[in-house]
Amino acid sequence: MAENLIEIEGLRKQFDAPGGQSHIALEGIDLAVREGEFVSILGPSGCGKSTLLYMVGGFIAPSAGRIRVAGTAVDRPGPDRGPVFQEFALFPWKTVLQNVMYGLRVQNVPKAMARARAMALLDMVNLGPYADFFPKQLSGGMRQRVAIARTLAYEPRILLMDEPFGALDAHTRTNLQNELLGIWERDRKTVLFVTHGVDEAVFLSDRIVVMSASPGRVDEIVVVDLPRPRVRAELLVDRRYQDLVLHLEARLEVMQPSRTGAFS
Amino acid sequence: MSPGAVRGARARATGVAALPRPGGRHLLGRVLPLVLPLLFVALVWEACSRWAQTEEMPGLAEIGAAFVAILGSPRDLAGVSASLWRMAAGFALGLAIAVPVGLAMGRSPALARALNPITTMVYPVPKAALMPIIMLWFGIGDLSKVLVIFLGVSLPLLYHSYQGARSVDEKLVWSARAMGMRAAPRLVRIVLPGALPEVLLGCRVGIAMALITMVSSEMIARQDGAGELLFNALDMAVYPEVYAMILLIALIGLGLDFGFERLRRWLVRWSDTLQANDA
Repeated sequence: MAENLIEIEGLRKQFDAPGGQSHIALEGIDLAVREGEFVSILGPSGCGKSTLLYMVGGFIAPSAGRIRVAGTAVDRPGPDRGPVFQEFALFPWKTVLQNVMYGLRVQNVPKAMARARAMALLDMVNLGPYADFFPKQLSGGMRQRVAIARTLAYEPRILLMDEPFGALDAHTRTNLQNELLGIWERDRKTVLFVTHGVDEAVFLSDRIVVMSASPGRVDEIVVVDLPRPRVRAELLVDRRYQDLVLHLEARLEVMQPSRTGAFS
Repeated sequence: MSPGAVRGARARATGVAALPRPGGRHLLGRVLPLVLPLLFVALVWEACSRWAQTEEMPGLAEIGAAFVAILGSPRDLAGVSASLWRMAAGFALGLAIAVPVGLAMGRSPALARALNPITTMVYPVPKAALMPIIMLWFGIGDLSKVLVIFLGVSLPLLYHSYQGARSVDEKLVWSARAMGMRAAPRLVRIVLPGALPEVLLGCRVGIAMALITMVSSEMIARQDGAGELLFNALDMAVYPEVYAMILLIALIGLGLDFGFERLRRWLVRWSDTLQANDA
């Protein structure tokens, strides 16, 4: 069995409001992710799943607990963990090509080499002809392809994806899921993928961490034992896929605050 | 990606420039709305001048003659260019100091807390009013005037840089950190371009402030320059020259603003908010 690449123990995150009140976003999170695993973090909004991802990224500090990546405690961001954000977060003043080259240039890769690698990645996500465009000239789906290429360019060991397809329309989302799965099945990078989409999580993942809200805790870890390479049309009629989707939807349904709240 | 889609996106890319401008594409249609109001003011002025028949309100012909005389006088032109040089120096000093401080304040709440009381206190003080004190310290030469212009442009530059840095998307900074970029380069390569649309708005205000403080500083410390020419002419009651100088200063302001606006649009051509800032 492979060594755990990410190890999270007793993680807790508390946000202190100026008025002295504090909000516990995450409590008692334990999670281990193996190298090459695709793990989704699924949960209702407000369960702290993005917060968890940001802490693995080193962008925000935990209140208690430990995160280790490849045996080393996380205390800051680093090029071993490449983020992809829902809002794309492309540098708007850089062209598409310059965005994809950026991480390599920061790491002092010679310009010609960075350029060649960036062009190859842009071709991979079918955006070669758009290399000299500014991000504002592209559609949302195209921007997210650029963002994925930009992160893949500097070859992080782990991809941290924060609802990367959440801002896209259904059709574009499906296309990008297929593309991501294709890329992943080729190079098997470790992926931590935050989502609130059940079918997306089942389609992509090896394991799904189901979280409950306020405070965010790990509710259940579901193993997705579906064969790869996966084809959407085949999965949709696969009994195991259907059972997993139904099970997860039932779990999330229970957690919906509206079911137990005043408006039910 | 199909070639059709590429063409579509290219059309969208150039579509910004192809948008109809107010007044249409004809030169006349664009120039007329600018010229007509000015022509109206000139006519009202001429009418008042003829009706009032006083020395303090000379007619357009006299002002025009004085204007031409200024442009033909090497001494006057040398004075005006000395003014512009001081203005440029004060503005450059503001860019070099106020913009980095403002950006750093926008990124560091502690720094912002420390400096905000000072900037809030200094903001309403007319900077030219500090001129006599600065003259006591640094004399009546160029240094004092450059410093006053620097003070005049600093606050708008500082304020807009601060606001701009605060509005930079945190995820852009995170993306750069994940690539391994350290804090100092991030300020220059991520925060500065991210804040640039707002910083440039501050620059536009700063250019106007620089012109104002330039003229008022020369009113107080009369050595050479546009302000010196203006206020000496006023003291000696050479009214056509007074109005000609005011016209010249206004035209300099107009020219600087027009040129800077071109530069600004080019610098932020990548920005989504370009259109919104056009107003």
